[in-house]
Amino acid sequence: MMLMVWLIPLLPLLGFLFIGLLQKKLEGTSAGWIGSLTVLASFVLSLLLFFLHSGSSDEYTLFEWINLGVLSIPFSLMIDQLSLIMMLIVTGVGFLIHVYSIGYMKGDDGFARFFSYLNLFIFFMLILVMGSNFLLMFVGWEGVGLCSYLLIGFWFKTPEYNAAANKAFIMNRIGDLGFLLGILLIISTFGSLDYNSVFSSAASMPDNQPQIIAITLLLLIGAAGKSAQIPLYTWLPDAMAGPTPVSALIHAATMVTAGIYMVVRSNVLYSIAPDTLFIVAVLGTATAVFAATIALAQNDIKKVLAYSTVSQLGFMFAALGAGAYTTAIFHVTTHAFFKALLFLAAGSVIHAMGGEQDIRKMGGLKKNLPVTFTVFAIGTLAIAGIPPLAGFFSKDEILAHVWVEYKYLFVALALASVFTAVYMFRLFFLTFYGDFRGSQRQKEHLHESPGIMTTPLVILAILSAFGGFLGMPEIFSDKHIIGSFLQPVLAYPSQLILSKPSHAFEWSLISVFAILLLIIILYTYRKFVSNKNIPLEDGSVKGLSRVLMNKYYVDELYDYLVVKPAFFIGRTFHSLVEKSIIDRTVNSIKPILISTSGMLRRIQTGGIGFYIFIMVFSIIAILAYNLLIS
Amino acid sequence: MNSLIILAALGLIILFSEIFNFKKIIFPIVFAGIIAAIVAALGDWNNSASYFNNMIRTDNYAVSFSVLILFITLLWFVMSSSMFEDQETRTDYFSLIVFSLIGALVMVSFTNLIMLFLGIEILSISMYALAGSKKDNLASNEAAMKYFLLGAFTTGFLLFGIALVYGITGSFNTDQISEYIMSTGHSSSPVLIAGILLILTALTFKIAAAPFHFWAPDVYQGAPTPVTAFMSSVVKTAAIASFLRLFGSAFAGPSEFWIATLWVISAITIVLGNILAVYQTNLKRMLAYSSISHAGYMIMSVIALNEKAASSLLFYTAAYGISSLAAFMVLLIVSSKSGTEEISGLRGMFSKNPIMASAACIAVLSLAGIPPLAGFFAKYYIFSAALQSGYTGLVLIAVAGSLVGVFYYFRIIINIFESNVQMNDLGVNVFNKAFLLICSLLALLFGILPGLIIDAI
Amino acid sequence: METTSLPTDYFPIAIQFFVALGFVLTTMVATHLLGPKRKSKVKLEAFECGIESQGNARIPFTIKYFLVAILFVLFDVEVIFMYPWAVNFKELGTTGIIEMFIFMLLLLTGFYYIIKKGALKWE
Repeated sequence: MMLMVWLIPLLPLLGFLFIGLLQKKLEGTSAGWIGSLTVLASFVLSLLLFFLHSGSSDEYTLFEWINLGVLSIPFSLMIDQLSLIMMLIVTGVGFLIHVYSIGYMKGDDGFARFFSYLNLFIFFMLILVMGSNFLLMFVGWEGVGLCSYLLIGFWFKTPEYNAAANKAFIMNRIGDLGFLLGILLIISTFGSLDYNSVFSSAASMPDNQPQIIAITLLLLIGAAGKSAQIPLYTWLPDAMAGPTPVSALIHAATMVTAGIYMVVRSNVLYSIAPDTLFIVAVLGTATAVFAATIALAQNDIKKVLAYSTVSQLGFMFAALGAGAYTTAIFHVTTHAFFKALLFLAAGSVIHAMGGEQDIRKMGGLKKNLPVTFTVFAIGTLAIAGIPPLAGFFSKDEILAHVWVEYKYLFVALALASVFTAVYMFRLFFLTFYGDFRGSQRQKEHLHESPGIMTTPLVILAILSAFGGFLGMPEIFSDKHIIGSFLQPVLAYPSQLILSKPSHAFEWSLISVFAILLLIIILYTYRKFVSNKNIPLEDGSVKGLSRVLMNKYYVDELYDYLVVKPAFFIGRTFHSLVEKSIIDRTVNSIKPILISTSGMLRRIQTGGIGFYIFIMVFSIIAILAYNLLIS
Repeated sequence: MNSLIILAALGLIILFSEIFNFKKIIFPIVFAGIIAAIVAALGDWNNSASYFNNMIRTDNYAVSFSVLILFITLLWFVMSSSMFEDQETRTDYFSLIVFSLIGALVMVSFTNLIMLFLGIEILSISMYALAGSKKDNLASNEAAMKYFLLGAFTTGFLLFGIALVYGITGSFNTDQISEYIMSTGHSSSPVLIAGILLILTALTFKIAAAPFHFWAPDVYQGAPTPVTAFMSSVVKTAAIASFLRLFGSAFAGPSEFWIATLWVISAITIVLGNILAVYQTNLKRMLAYSSISHAGYMIMSVIALNEKAASSLLFYTAAYGISSLAAFMVLLIVSSKSGTEEISGLRGMFSKNPIMASAACIAVLSLAGIPPLAGFFAKYYIFSAALQSGYTGLVLIAVAGSLVGVFYYFRIIINIFESNVQMNDLGVNVFNKAFLLICSLLALLFGILPGLIIDAI
Repeated sequence: METTSLPTDYFPIAIQFFVALGFVLTTMVATHLLGPKRKSKVKLEAFECGIESQGNARIPFTIKYFLVAILFVLFDVEVIFMYPWAVNFKELGTTGIIEMFIFMLLLLTGFYYIIKKGALKWE
């Protein structure tokens, strides 16, 4: 058992080392297959573990990692329901995306490098979700951040991509600082970082203790950075510079959900800090609405999906804020399926279009890309929340829980949900219906992707279609599979009595949304297909759409408020403090050191007589001091 | 205990290998013998027993340092194979090394001052001869002569000190001495104080701490590089381990006076060693001064004199031994190929010899105490042990000294990465590459998992 | 072991120390003052048992002298260990004999090694 648990993260690490060290020697697609197989093996092991799991939370300690006397941190992994679900998502979706990448990245110069990074990412992600203490989570957290950086800037010859990678890294650093401070505060409050001991001592604390509020808020900053919440979300759309499988794996399905995982993992802390939960809910709702509106006016296929991801993460945070942890994980799961699917399908489109990402240049791809069209349709229906696809159940559950806890946030979130459908169908219709609007060359180039890419798409499509049955609302089924499975992780349910929405509300919610969705589909179809209302060129967009297209000018605002002043401060300190004070001090130390050294060097004469003289002199001095003076 | 007998037998076998003509296979025999000695030493783990009428005790302290010394010697044999190429003298060198190991093992496991003396002498006499093992090299001869004269001189002080301590306490046994001092105190007897201080100065000489360090730069520079590496790793480890063993047991009672003396010695050593290293352009001499400054850090564990002292010293000597062996290895390769021991001889190493350059960087960074390498945690544990006993001032001096250390260590790295000059591919052979790789990995491993060693004793 | 010793116990030693020092000093000073001072070439010549000295004494001569001398001292000194054994022969009994024979065996191996190494060959 122990070996099995350890092999799960170890295999991708070995894959990384193997591919990374031999990347020049591996020929053809072998690197891709090796990478995929290690992840598949981890997936199979996780699946085995899932079925063997007894229901308890088990720790597997490999060795004592850090022992400072007062604080001892073992290097140990934890297997419980939450980590099992995350492991299955990471390795399962990860494996599919690996396979897809073999087709997508074929012929790229950095093929082997790409797979070594992907494997490293899987390793760190597994450490993140399997670690049994906050420090290990932090190690994984930083590790996936590093991999994200490496993969966003994968095509490092383009300066903009490097800028995007830097942006993602720096934005994440802000969040990581919060996380780190949170960890330090946990140490000082609980004297431990181990989940079990922290949570068991937190369970007996009263609500809204100042230090618990501080810890949860700091952790929230970390989560907001990694999961792209307001105000740290701007890196995620830029991160689309990386290869599309990366966007699917890291920036949609797994890494960005690490923030949600963290909050769910520390649900005990959040449950005794209702004030923080409220902030989480507000933040999530705001992000959901905000990002959804931006997505309405984007014309880059990946940008739309990126803002959609930000918006969906907002939904998950809203669920967390409502205390519905299992619902959040449920949405993480379904979102992993359909968003990975959408990204990979978008990758297939981009592949067919020869790298073109602007939907204004697409259209009518339905005929040429039948498989991609079908799976994209399923993905769109799923994310828009058409029953009975995956997104419907999870989103419905989130809305219901938010309704119970915060009525006014519900309105905003419902609005975001409507926007989701609008931008997704806009994207869908513009891409696959109507006439082809690209160049003649692109038209001839159009082709369906090879089987190695479409197979993962089909599997993900099936998952997106049926994944929702993992958690059906009470009105359809009395068994919420994910919910009841995760219940033991919420180890202290006494503090967490979730009031459930009434059945009448559930029914009305579903019916109202079903009608709304129908209207939206008809409306978007008329607008973009029947009336051929193609979005205008960038320059001629006016009014609100222009604001939306430019993402509310948030990037410009940050640039003006943060980046420019930061650079200014940096330059000032560079010229004033660094150059004139520090440099001068350090530079003046150097000659002092060298001249002292040069002077002292002379006592090393090389003559034995002198050496003996000094030695005897020292002995006499020592004896005299100790015997005569003191 | 059995490891001592194995080593003694091994030494004799080596001597007779020349007469009975099997010196071709002597290398595997020595290797196997030392591994057998390690195994035998590990057999005494948690199995403390006294031998030879309470002259030697194989407690865990002795076992852990014995294993460390033997292990480092094993690594050392890999690096210094060039020293044993000459058929004429190889058996002599092998046996001298093995005999010096016997001395080292006695030094870390004695419970009797006579054994301490014997161990030091067995070790030292072998080293005198080895320092002069390049017979046709004037510098090597000079080194041997200086080392011998000064060493013999301090041996006199050591004996004198032992005699004075014996005169007052009436025993050579460390436990009995400790008992005597505990029961009567030292203030009554200036003779005892003088004796302790004389022993202290003699041992200070052996670990090359200021102001008794003068022999070190000359000897280190003059001796053949493998011997220098041996002196700065194995010999230093044995000497400081015997230092802590003696002062941590026999003289641990009322100890203010010698701790105050040692405090000054440690501070001077750290400052002087680091500052003098700055000026050096000769890599071997710079490493000699760096080795002096490290002696200063090691002494801090003796000063701390608490339950952390032994484990932090073990970690420090292990980290230092591995890193300095790697550094000397690089020096050995470069100087044998290019004929120069100057730092400038390392210029532009990275482009054509990336493995060696990386290993050199890891070694140097570890010596400088940069995380996450072993050297960082070594300093951390020693400093925290000293802080725990309340020697904040000394730790401050030590930290300042480390900063100066970074200055000259980074000069090596800057030279390695210099891109204007291109060094040729030195054609480092597989053994040497493997050795460098092992040293680097160990430095990383101990840095990432310091618990492996620090929790050992 | 008697460990309480008073400074007065060392008084006779001090007296002897001063007498010895005084004697040497007195004799040296006295001979210097009393003796006649004649400095001739013959007078200053090195005295070698009446035989005329031949050349400088500081000439290099073969290392074998040292080697043999040192080996002689080595084996000569080791014999000293026989004395305490002989004195305590009965008390040490069989173990004493075995240990002493091991000791002598080791000495003999050393001796054998020296001979085989050719350290005693004079050519």
